[in-house]
Amino acid sequence: MKAIIHDLGTEQNMRLRAAADLVICADGRYAPCQGCFRCWTRHPAACVLKDELREVCRVLGMCEDMTVVTANLYGGYSPAVKNLLDRSIGLSTPLSTYRGGQMHHTLRYGRKGRFHVIAYGTFTEAEKQALRLMAESNAVNMGFREHSVAFCADAEEAGGQA
Amino acid sequence: MMSGTVLINCSPKRRLSASGFLARCAAGLIRGEKRVLQLRTPADHPAILEAIRTAEKVVFVTPLYVDSLPSHVLPFMQKMEACCRENRLRLKVYAIANNGFIEGRQNEPLMRVMENFCARSGLTWCGGLGIGGGVMLNVERIMLTVLLGLTALNVVLRAAQGESPWEPLRSFAVSAGELLLLACGIIALMLRLAYHVNRGTDAGKRYTRIMVPSFLFILFADIFFTVVSVLQGGIFRGWLSRLKPTGGCEPAVSGKQ
Repeated sequence: MKAIIHDLGTEQNMRLRAAADLVICADGRYAPCQGCFRCWTRHPAACVLKDELREVCRVLGMCEDMTVVTANLYGGYSPAVKNLLDRSIGLSTPLSTYRGGQMHHTLRYGRKGRFHVIAYGTFTEAEKQALRLMAESNAVNMGFREHSVAFCADAEEAGGQA
Repeated sequence: MMSGTVLINCSPKRRLSASGFLARCAAGLIRGEKRVLQLRTPADHPAILEAIRTAEKVVFVTPLYVDSLPSHVLPFMQKMEACCRENRLRLKVYAIANNGFIEGRQNEPLMRVMENFCARSGLTWCGGLGIGGGVMLNVERIMLTVLLGLTALNVVLRAAQGESPWEPLRSFAVSAGELLLLACGIIALMLRLAYHVNRGTDAGKRYTRIMVPSFLFILFADIFFTVVSVLQGGIFRGWLSRLKPTGGCEPAVSGKQ
């Protein structure tokens, strides 16, 4: 299964549905992560915040490949996309291991395929480098075997590449 | 006249956060006028933006969430960028980031985001400190505070019974010494960062950690989360299982059939 997480708005959902089994629109309406770790210690893989992202990590856990379509913000993800990723740490368990030569949490849903980031907007060279490092770090963190980053001038082009 | 330092505690937790503790420690080391303000919700934005208008330096003290800043901090940074450009503010910006993993270097992507934020906002990036083992540091200092209370109680009870108070005091001193030893890298680099903040100079990027071998740190972390998960019941609810969606609260999902 392939998942697409995007901040392109609901109108792009129709187009993206043809490209993936799962399309999640990060629309910025969701509460941010509270950092309580209860998605590990109280209700595994479920957030204490009872909104629509409550079990998003269980949904993403079913997917082999993940594509993130995001506006560039200082060489990172947009607030809406980052919010969704912050709320997804139940993809891992509270136990730790070594992965990529560093400490990381063990994976609840096992190793995965490809993590692809499509960033759009204007970029400085430093922001492009930061996004490459961010994608690499996220891929190791979430257990993806491969990662890649593409840069697009605008949301239209980014949606087309997803 | 621009003066003083604003320390922004970016933890979403109301209290007992590692970032809040580090912000208070840093404030204690920084000279002159300083304020520690918490950034939890959009309602906190106006007060912080007002404070930075007259400040000379800003220190972001933040946890690391999924290799970067927590999502609730990003809209504030966008507002701060607009505010700084509009008012031609020339702040010096520092960052103290802490993560739960042992390697402080895992804060590197966050530091780059901070640097790019400063470049976009016309501010001067003056470097930061990335701390590994922030959760462990926080747990240790909370336990030490509790131990201090128990020691004081023990001393009073012993004094009432005419016994020597030295044994509980010695025990507390050993525990405090152990924490100082574990945190010696953090303490040294916090002092160094504070020195640069006081002088308004570039501190560069530095990374440190709790001084425990990583395999021991992982063992401690696993024990900690196991105990908490037993107490909170998660261990009996599919703790490590590949749990499937129950269908009750799924996000606005669509996909090809």
